[in-house]
Amino acid sequence: MTAPPGQPAPGQPAPGQPAAGRAADAGRRGGDGRIVVENLTKVFGTQRAVDSLSFTVEPGSVTGFLGPNGAGKTTTLRMLLGLVRPTSGLATVNGVNYQSLPKPLQTVGAALEAASFHPAHTGLQHLRIYCAAAGLPARRADEVLELVGLTQAAKKKTKGYSMGMRQRLGLAATLLGDPRVLILDEPANGLDPEGIRWLRGFFRHLAGEGRTVLVSSHQLAEVQEVADRAVILNRGKLVRAGTLAELSAGTATTVVRGPALTPLQQALAAAGFSGTTEPDGALRIRTDQIAHVGHLAFTHGVELHELRLEEFDLERLFFSLTEGEHRAADLGPAGQLPAGYQQGGAR
Amino acid sequence: MINLIRSEVLKIRSTQVWFWMLLLAGAFTALGSAGTSYNAVQDYRAGNPVDYYSLFTQSSGAAVALLVLGLLGLTTEFRHKTITPTLLATPNRWLLLAGKAASYAVFAIVYAVFCVALNFAIAIIWLSAENVPLDYGHGVPGGVGKAFLTLVLTGMFGLGLGALLRNQAAAMVFGIVYFFVLGPLLSVIPGVRKGYAWTPGGAIQAFNSNGVTDGLADDVHLLAPLAGGLLFVAWSLALLLIGGRISLGRDIS
Repeated sequence: MTAPPGQPAPGQPAPGQPAAGRAADAGRRGGDGRIVVENLTKVFGTQRAVDSLSFTVEPGSVTGFLGPNGAGKTTTLRMLLGLVRPTSGLATVNGVNYQSLPKPLQTVGAALEAASFHPAHTGLQHLRIYCAAAGLPARRADEVLELVGLTQAAKKKTKGYSMGMRQRLGLAATLLGDPRVLILDEPANGLDPEGIRWLRGFFRHLAGEGRTVLVSSHQLAEVQEVADRAVILNRGKLVRAGTLAELSAGTATTVVRGPALTPLQQALAAAGFSGTTEPDGALRIRTDQIAHVGHLAFTHGVELHELRLEEFDLERLFFSLTEGEHRAADLGPAGQLPAGYQQGGAR
Repeated sequence: MINLIRSEVLKIRSTQVWFWMLLLAGAFTALGSAGTSYNAVQDYRAGNPVDYYSLFTQSSGAAVALLVLGLLGLTTEFRHKTITPTLLATPNRWLLLAGKAASYAVFAIVYAVFCVALNFAIAIIWLSAENVPLDYGHGVPGGVGKAFLTLVLTGMFGLGLGALLRNQAAAMVFGIVYFFVLGPLLSVIPGVRKGYAWTPGGAIQAFNSNGVTDGLADDVHLLAPLAGGLLFVAWSLALLLIGGRISLGRDIS
C-alpha cells in the first residue's frame, strides 16, 4: 500500500482551488453533477428490490448510500447507470439518463464490483481499453494508475491482483474521464486497514476537488468521516436522507454510570428527559445537556463514575433505522421516566 | 464508432487468444491444403481431372477458428463480467454490438487473408514439387473470393451465436457440434434433409460450391451460390440482432 493520492492529475483542479474555479471546471466537465432518483422501482419477479425510491445527490457533495445487504443499493446504482432497466421511475445524472450522456466516462465514473477485469489483461491494458472507448489518450491510464498507487503493478495481469489492488484499479477506472460525478459501490470491500486508510484519503481528495460522490458502503465510520450527506435504505425503501447534521439532530446521548443511579433516574424523569438503561446499569439519556445532567446528579447526591456525551454515530443510527429498533419518534427527547427507560433498549 | 472499434481491437490484441486462434486457423488450413494437394497429385497421376477449385478454395478448417474467435466476442465479456465496464463506456447496446461486429470483421479479414494465402502457397509448392501443372481457371478466382468472404462471415456468425447463447462453454460446444455433427446430420436424415439448404450449413455450402454437390442426397437442392451467400449473411445478421436483443437487452446485474 502506498500513501494517499496527493497530486491531482493534469487537468484536474488542485485541492483547495477556489469555488469559482471549481464551478468553471464543473462546466468544463459537463453538467452540474446532480443525481436525481425519482420514484424509482425495480421488481424482480414478485420481489420489489427497490420501491418508489426518491432522493437527490447534490453537486459537489459526498453522499453515503447506506443500507444492509439486500436493501437495494446495488440495484439502484445499476439503474442509475443504465445497467438495469427500472420497472418504473427515473434516475438521472445532469438531468438525463445515463444512456443519453454524450460522453459517459467523462461525466460519470463508476466502480461497481471488484472483479470486472479480464484475468489476462494487465491493469494498464484494462484501463487503456476504456481510454480508447472514451476517446481519451492512452497516457491517461498511466496517470490514474499513479493516482491510486498502482504504477508498480501496471504491467501485472489482473488475475494476480489482490482484492485491494482490484479495488484500486476499479477506482482508477472511475477517474479516467476526469468525471464530475463518481459512483462507488462498496469500495472498501476487501480492503485491509491500511487500504481503508488510503480510501479515506482518496475520498478526501475527491471531496476536496468538489466532485459529486455517491458511495455505498458498510464502512460507516469511513463514510461519516468524509460524507456531507447520507441516504439510508432498507428493503428497497428510503428510510432517511439528509445532511449528517440533519440526521444527527436529536440523537445526542449522555451516558452516565454510577453505583446507585435510581435517584438520578427519577430526577431526570421529573426534568423531562428520556433514555434507556443498559444491562450493566448505565443510563443513556437522549440529550446533549451534559452539564444539566451533572448538576442533577450533584444536587441529588448521586455518585458518578462516568459522565460523558456520546458523539453522533452514523453506524448506530444506521442500525437503529434499518433494524427497526428505533422509530423516528424515539430519537427526540420525549416521554417520561421511568417508562422511557427500557432494559437494554436502543443501542 | 472509431473509438469503439479501437477499444474492441485493443481488447482482442491484449490477450494471446488472437494469436493462438491464428495458429489454429493456420494449422487447419495447412492440414486441409495438404489433403487437397495430395488428392490433386493422385488425381493427376491417375489421369483424372484435378479439382483445382477445391484445391484453391478450401477454407472449412480455418472457418472453425474464425467461428471460435467470433464466439468469444461477447461471451468473454459475460464470463469475466467485463460487460459492466464495457457498457459504462458504451451505454448504447446496439452501438456496442455494431462496434464489436466491425472489430471482429477487421480481425476476420486479417485471418482470411492469412489463411487464403497460406492455402495458395502450400498448394502451389506441393503441386510444383510433384510436377503437377497449375491451373487458375475453373472459377478459382471467384472461389477464392468466396472462401475469403466465408471466413469473414463465419466470424460474424460466431459473434451472433455468442450473443444469443451468452454462456461461453455452451456457445463453443453448440457452434462446433453444429458445424461438424448436427449440420452434416441434417443433410442426410430423410424428411429433414430437404430443409438443409436453408440452414446455415447448407447456405455456406451453396455459397462455396461451384455447382458440384457431391455427397448430398438427390432430394437435397442447394441454393444458387449468391443466394446461399445472402442467406448466410441473413443468418449471421439474425443471430446478431436476436442475440443482441436477448443478451444485451437483459439487466446486467
